[in-house]
Amino acid sequence: MAIRFEKVNFSYGAGTTLAQSILHDVTLEMPTGRVTAVVGQTGSGKSTLIQHINGLLKPTSGRVTVDNFELTSHTKEKELVKLRKSVGIAFQFPENQLFANTVLEDVMYAPVNFGATKSEAKLAAERALTRTGVMRGLWGKSPFELSGGQMRRVAMAGTLSSDPSVVVMDEPAAGLDPKGQGELLQLVLELKKLGKTIIIISHQMDHVVAVADHVIVMHEGRVVAQESPQILFNRDITWFKTMKLDLPKAGQLAEKLRDEGIILSKRPLTLNELADLINAEVSHE
Amino acid sequence: MTQAIRINNLKYNYDDNDTVFDDFNLEIDAGQWLALVGHNGSGKSTLAKLILGLIEANNGTITVFGEQLRIDTVHHVREQIGMVFQNPDNQFVGATVADDVAFGLENKEMPSSDMPKVIDEALTIVGMQDFKYREPHMLSGGQKQRVALASVLALQPKIIILDEATAMLDPDGRATVMATLQNLKQRFGSELTLITITHDMNEAMLADRVVVINDGQLILDGSPSEVFSQCDVMHHNGLELPFVGELAVRLDPKPDGYLDERELIKWLSDLKK
Repeated sequence: MAIRFEKVNFSYGAGTTLAQSILHDVTLEMPTGRVTAVVGQTGSGKSTLIQHINGLLKPTSGRVTVDNFELTSHTKEKELVKLRKSVGIAFQFPENQLFANTVLEDVMYAPVNFGATKSEAKLAAERALTRTGVMRGLWGKSPFELSGGQMRRVAMAGTLSSDPSVVVMDEPAAGLDPKGQGELLQLVLELKKLGKTIIIISHQMDHVVAVADHVIVMHEGRVVAQESPQILFNRDITWFKTMKLDLPKAGQLAEKLRDEGIILSKRPLTLNELADLINAEVSHE
Repeated sequence: MTQAIRINNLKYNYDDNDTVFDDFNLEIDAGQWLALVGHNGSGKSTLAKLILGLIEANNGTITVFGEQLRIDTVHHVREQIGMVFQNPDNQFVGATVADDVAFGLENKEMPSSDMPKVIDEALTIVGMQDFKYREPHMLSGGQKQRVALASVLALQPKIIILDEATAMLDPDGRATVMATLQNLKQRFGSELTLITITHDMNEAMLADRVVVINDGQLILDGSPSEVFSQCDVMHHNGLELPFVGELAVRLDPKPDGYLDERELIKWLSDLKK
């Protein structure tokens, strides 16, 4: 499922005097079967961007293609069903959208909605709940009895139960404890192994380094970089300041060490890399 | 020293008999900033609800400034405690930021002529005075949480509890809320007891005292540097150290005990000399 944006512009209230332009001339590609991270400060257009992938928003001008589906300002609402079936979106804090009486019913909702029979939907829901690590003992409970971390997993299962080939996640690990965050990143990598195309929005550059193959940087509604994390995070430090983007924590600390005269041989992207570089630097003396 | 909160022999079960607390004890001095840390599901939010009397303990006592929490005292106890919750979108009622802060004051039956001054003061403390006439839903997450904090401050509580109040914020929002809390502590000193419930250790680091709980048990209790020196215990309880702490345990040679970022950088540059 190749995803391509060509000269996409988007404005709220297009054609009115209140028109507010959000995306400007966005051209990009999100590679099939890979994890693409979309980063940028709050208000840079990330959420607007991803809502074009399943047609929740349509471009004001330009074109989005997802595999052979083409989305433009003229696309009719009823044509979107096909797109929505192949693209699952988990919004920020998806647990706020749980609604059914039991965990299992909640997760069955999407496949039933897309025309699966009850028994097919049940099977799909059970598979999704197993994949996201929700224990069988919880399937009959009300989603509202669960802890925050468990609710997040149920909500993720709800996105996966209709077996979409593209999975979009807006800040999937936000608010979880370290263990929960680690498990979510693991889930992203498992989904990638299954051949899915994954798009995640994240403010945590450490998570981007951990899972992303490709990074799209948004700034004031424009794409200002699209490249691998290794290339991106080796850009000059002044660029990050201009874009108000963080380095991964290891890179941030390396910059502070540099200010104190401890210069590492390259910029580390992970904790272990940072420790190795410091150990090499200090023991050389 | 005056005690803000004393918890004795607390016992609490969920309906289905899952024991959350069994013989739990904790004393919090007035004016202390205490970070209550633990992983999701460790019981830390349940403890906050018990202190506020939102749920009732099966056994044991909770005393707030000398007054034991009971059905007939719960309203008075609650008046002394302000609470800020995790989701910034679930705590607004007013059409403007100022209205929102006014809501709590109206409930307290403050004369409306007194309100503007109190509202202005509270918004100034959190750095949101310029947003007085804005609609709350147009604010960023960090700004919303600061307004929620102003609404609480306007009521002049002796204790403020923040339950994962920064968990849903972006890094900028988180930094501004943390800076606001540091400001509050400086301004009110021993007049304000602050309890931050969190699993973010960079946040816990700012407190005077860190209490780690898991399965309703008190696991560690001490200053941030004492608690963060217990690397294995923290990991075993599903928690991480602040980033520099995680780095220090991977260094060779390693420093003795926990160093904060500034100290670790200094230690490394001395080592290099």
